[in-house]
Amino acid sequence: MNGCKYIRERIDAAERPDVFSFEVNEHLSQCDDCERFAFERSALRNLLAEGTRVSAPVNFDAMLTARLAEVKGRRAYWWLASPGYLRLGAATAGLVVMFFAAQYSGLFSDNNPSNKPPVIAVQPSPTPGPQPGPVQLSPPIHDISTGQPVAMTSGSHNRSMPRIRRGGAPVDGVPVGYFTAESGGVVLVRGSNGDMDVQLPTVSVGAQPLLYVSAGQRPVRTVGTSF
Amino acid sequence: MAAVTHQAQAIELGGSRSAEAVSDHELLAAIRDGDEVAFQEIVRRYRNPITNFVYRMLDDYDRSVELAQETFIRVYTSASRYQANYSFSTYIYRIATNLAISELRRRKRRKTVSLFSPFTNDDGEAVEIDPPDLNVLQDETLIQNERRRAVARAITSLPQKYRAAIVLRDVEGLSYDQIAQTLRLSEGTVKSRINRARNLLKEKLSVYI
Repeated sequence: MNGCKYIRERIDAAERPDVFSFEVNEHLSQCDDCERFAFERSALRNLLAEGTRVSAPVNFDAMLTARLAEVKGRRAYWWLASPGYLRLGAATAGLVVMFFAAQYSGLFSDNNPSNKPPVIAVQPSPTPGPQPGPVQLSPPIHDISTGQPVAMTSGSHNRSMPRIRRGGAPVDGVPVGYFTAESGGVVLVRGSNGDMDVQLPTVSVGAQPLLYVSAGQRPVRTVGTSF
Repeated sequence: MAAVTHQAQAIELGGSRSAEAVSDHELLAAIRDGDEVAFQEIVRRYRNPITNFVYRMLDDYDRSVELAQETFIRVYTSASRYQANYSFSTYIYRIATNLAISELRRRKRRKTVSLFSPFTNDDGEAVEIDPPDLNVLQDETLIQNERRRAVARAITSLPQKYRAAIVLRDVEGLSYDQIAQTLRLSEGTVKSRINRARNLLKEKLSVYI
């Protein structure tokens, strides 16, 4: 005769709650505890099975179709989803940062002397303003203390601090009385009378310092940066 | 529903058999090829069992319908990855079980407390405080409804690892082997969990047995 533990396992494993094998039935006829166990299990399984089975709502298919269409739409435009969109934005921002970093580090500037842009000469002239050829300066720049003409040039390789030389000696190959706009930007020159500033037409390419030249009265200083 | 049935009966896969005679595996193969009618047939076959199963797991009809739809969406979107190593019913019940368990865990994180089971026993299991009404009820319908509600509450008070097994076995009627495949457990573990769940339910539903 099989033990009660084995019989109860068989009762639990029965496909139907009230149909048992011959060996189980034989045991149940002789064991009251197992018979009570079988009765309780059968009642419990019938109680669980008799519960009302819910059905899907009548609009289940319509709702499913709508949700499925939404899912298909998302899959068709997956690259516009937030992860892809963020990746694209991050890549663009990285390129912009790299561009500005390269620009400020001078990768785009041409330091080769042979490729220097032509010097824009400014000659004294009673009619200021941009003209074809050399631009004339009015009034002429003179040193206040000596009365000598002042030659204003920027250094050959100093981009931000143009130098002011006295006398008529050529400086870096630039004729006396001329000053270059090599540093670019807008150069403000206080006249020899100290009363007015003369804005000179210059060529500005890229980021260049904005200079304020004080004709010997004040040190040259960088006012700002102009693009 | 009738329209869908007629439409499903009208389709013929392979040119000779109606959709009713086509196996689930063949329908999945047709879905992989983009056959929308085959997908409708799968939905027609399993929408009620899946909705009922999830409802028994959650005791929340609206959410059960949503998760049943999510189950079918996953079947559709992952049809290309489906492998016919076991029955499709096992496959779809596994998806539904995973969704239901995820929902139960989400609710547990939100710490929702049922008014019927505000206490736990020494094992951490929810103890239902639902004293039976000993008054005589005249209406048999009310009695049946009360019994069904008691059964539903007793099932939802079970720990989730027991709940899925007992619902699949005693409500949906799956075999131990199918339950083991669905839950990815050994058959011995499934039998143990079902036995434990029945013992717990017997205590909770002793009034109705």
